[in-house]
Amino acid sequence: MASLWRKILSILPGNEEQFLLQFSDRVESSVQEMLKVCRQQLYADTSSTCRMLHAQIVLDVSWERLNTGTWRHVDKDWRRVYAYGCLFKAAALCREDPTEEKILQAVRTCDMGLLMGAAIMDNILHVVVKLLQSEIRRSHKAEEREEEHEAKRIKIESPNVPVIQDERAVLRIKCPSLESFNTGYLRPLKPVILEGIIEHWPALNHHAWSIEYLRSVAGCRTVPVEVGSRYTDENWSQTLITFNEFIDRYILNKDGDNASGYLAQHQLFDQIPELKEDIVLPDYCCLGDDEGDEDNITVNAWFGPAGTVSPLHQDPQQNFLAQVVGSKYIRLYSPEDTDKLYPHQSPLLHNTSQVDVENPDLQRFPEFTKAPYRECVLQRGDVLFIPVQHWHYVRSLELSFSVSFWWS
Amino acid sequence: MRWFGFGFNAFAQICDVDKSDEGESCAAAVKVSSPTELSEHVDGNRRWKTSQITASWSRRAALHGDGELRDSCVCVAGFGSDVSSCCGTCVAHSYGCVNVFISETHLTLAFPHKIETWDLQKKEETPSWSMDLEAQSDCFAGLTLPLVPGGYIQSNPPFYRPLSAHMGAKRLALGAEHAVLLTASGAVYTWGLGSHGQLGHGGLTPEEKPKPVEALWGMIMGSVSAGGWHSVCVSEDCSKQTGASSPEDPQEEGKQEDVFISIQAFPALVDVTPLCEIRTVSCGSRHTAAATTAGDLYTWGWGEYGQLGHQTFSSSDEPQRVEFFAAEQIYVVDVVCGNWNTFVAINEEIDLRIENKHRLEHLEI
Repeated sequence: MASLWRKILSILPGNEEQFLLQFSDRVESSVQEMLKVCRQQLYADTSSTCRMLHAQIVLDVSWERLNTGTWRHVDKDWRRVYAYGCLFKAAALCREDPTEEKILQAVRTCDMGLLMGAAIMDNILHVVVKLLQSEIRRSHKAEEREEEHEAKRIKIESPNVPVIQDERAVLRIKCPSLESFNTGYLRPLKPVILEGIIEHWPALNHHAWSIEYLRSVAGCRTVPVEVGSRYTDENWSQTLITFNEFIDRYILNKDGDNASGYLAQHQLFDQIPELKEDIVLPDYCCLGDDEGDEDNITVNAWFGPAGTVSPLHQDPQQNFLAQVVGSKYIRLYSPEDTDKLYPHQSPLLHNTSQVDVENPDLQRFPEFTKAPYRECVLQRGDVLFIPVQHWHYVRSLELSFSVSFWWS
Repeated sequence: MRWFGFGFNAFAQICDVDKSDEGESCAAAVKVSSPTELSEHVDGNRRWKTSQITASWSRRAALHGDGELRDSCVCVAGFGSDVSSCCGTCVAHSYGCVNVFISETHLTLAFPHKIETWDLQKKEETPSWSMDLEAQSDCFAGLTLPLVPGGYIQSNPPFYRPLSAHMGAKRLALGAEHAVLLTASGAVYTWGLGSHGQLGHGGLTPEEKPKPVEALWGMIMGSVSAGGWHSVCVSEDCSKQTGASSPEDPQEEGKQEDVFISIQAFPALVDVTPLCEIRTVSCGSRHTAAATTAGDLYTWGWGEYGQLGHQTFSSSDEPQRVEFFAAEQIYVVDVVCGNWNTFVAINEEIDLRIENKHRLEHLEI
């Protein structure tokens, strides 16, 4: 595997001079000096220990800056410094004939750079991850058989499917024209389920998303997972684990403690470009403010077992919720009835209702039953249009993977 | 006073170590795990005593005094300083300085008649900020930096921030995103961002203006200290309180199975066993050090750079005594933390006891 290092070298700049390190003066000279030391060590004969040490210094100091102040005010250059730290650390891990464990650690390091850092050197971290993944795959051909049995194990659970009353059902239309969707639903801000509009997605065809497929594409990648039944609970938290660990622990429940985990609201497709190729931006987004400019559309992945719950809440943008695997029970309330939904007062949670939709405390929230609503079971291939500020409650009925598109 | 330092040393801010690219010596150069005595300041044939130390991430500034001639100067070691000289680079125009404060970007010097803040990154002829103190009044007396008459100094423009006079500010500690103020009446005020519970008001909301820490109401506090995201104060009768976040658990590398990031948003009494009286406390980014009246040093928090002084690189949730000083019966009188390192002052007189002890042992042989 000394060839791995040669491959990494081949994607790095040819020498020190070509490896540019440019930062605003928000990054102090002492830190820039440390980065230069790391760069110099990259091209020199430095020991692995020494490289790791200096890369870790860069990571530790930039990590502190990333945790100073509010996230949106963190200077982009500090996130770049963090990403460089990840690059230097990953390189150090792969320098001397790395074991598989070291390669996986390097993948995790790159993922931290992608999740917390900002893009550097033409998205070099993506390129490095790709290299490392192919290195791992090469030694894993034999183990692919095992996973096929796993999928069967999950199918057996029968979802607790609520019966949808006709008069409350969300309307469904098949492949509407842009104009009819615009006039009939977008302008009047009326929820609707669009059928047949994602049939062409590779995720539903030749790259059908399954546990095996997701493992093969993203198994060793680190993702943020929400732990705890719902984000309004006291014991709710987030953790960073690999896709494989998430599947084993929270989908297949291999450790048997039935903990609740949800890969929720994560821009997975920015992190893992191969998965981005399996989905397509809905055409109807071009009816938005900036003609569907991709840069202004937030695409999130929602992947989890049966029973994940998003408490009743509202979002400040239009939403297309595409169901790719499994099904979800969804209830919708109009923003006109907000007064009957008892939103939290605190600034952090003012977009979230205090009411547990499927088990409301009517003593505390008496008006809730008076609020009219629509409901549906969103199936594989459906896309639900949730108009801006429309309250929605979601519970997965079985293993589920949804993709949401937030646009304006 | 003689000073020892341990922890982060990548810029030779503690001591100059032979650097090579070899794994082990590289690690030893960057992380000083065993308390190491700082070089003395020697000027001509005068040996100056180091009366004060202040440290940032990459540097250490020391205020040296020559008792006899009542002279003083400031030396800076670390990033950008001359490694070969005894204790760093002597700061020009620092003669007569009475108090010094360093941040990653600026060095503030207080003189009897003026205060100046210098930019450490740009070689400039004039200070970035300065203040003239009225010649007669000793209005700086009793204050220490970053407090200045009428307010305090921060490391970014506008450098001077006023504080209301009626607060009676006595001591101020600045964290990464918050401030902790001790008033003359022994009350503690905090302000800034509070998302780690560091303000001690019981929640995570920020405070724009100084707000009294009500949980400490009724207790007279004697000193305050602020780390990156935590706060520590000591009551005047030398017991201890802290309001803190969890500065020790920030590792995203997840080596532990279930890492719980906990927040302590109200002041909580810190358990130092055996029970002892705290003389001084100082905080680094993510660690804390306390010197007791009995001459012991306790440290806890993040230890990956050796800043806890236990000759390991592990972190610790519980205060632990630094055995290095206890074993040699070295009497610790003061402690000052840089971001990732710790500086300890020892009482020279007690040293004589050690020297005598060694001499006696030598005789016995």
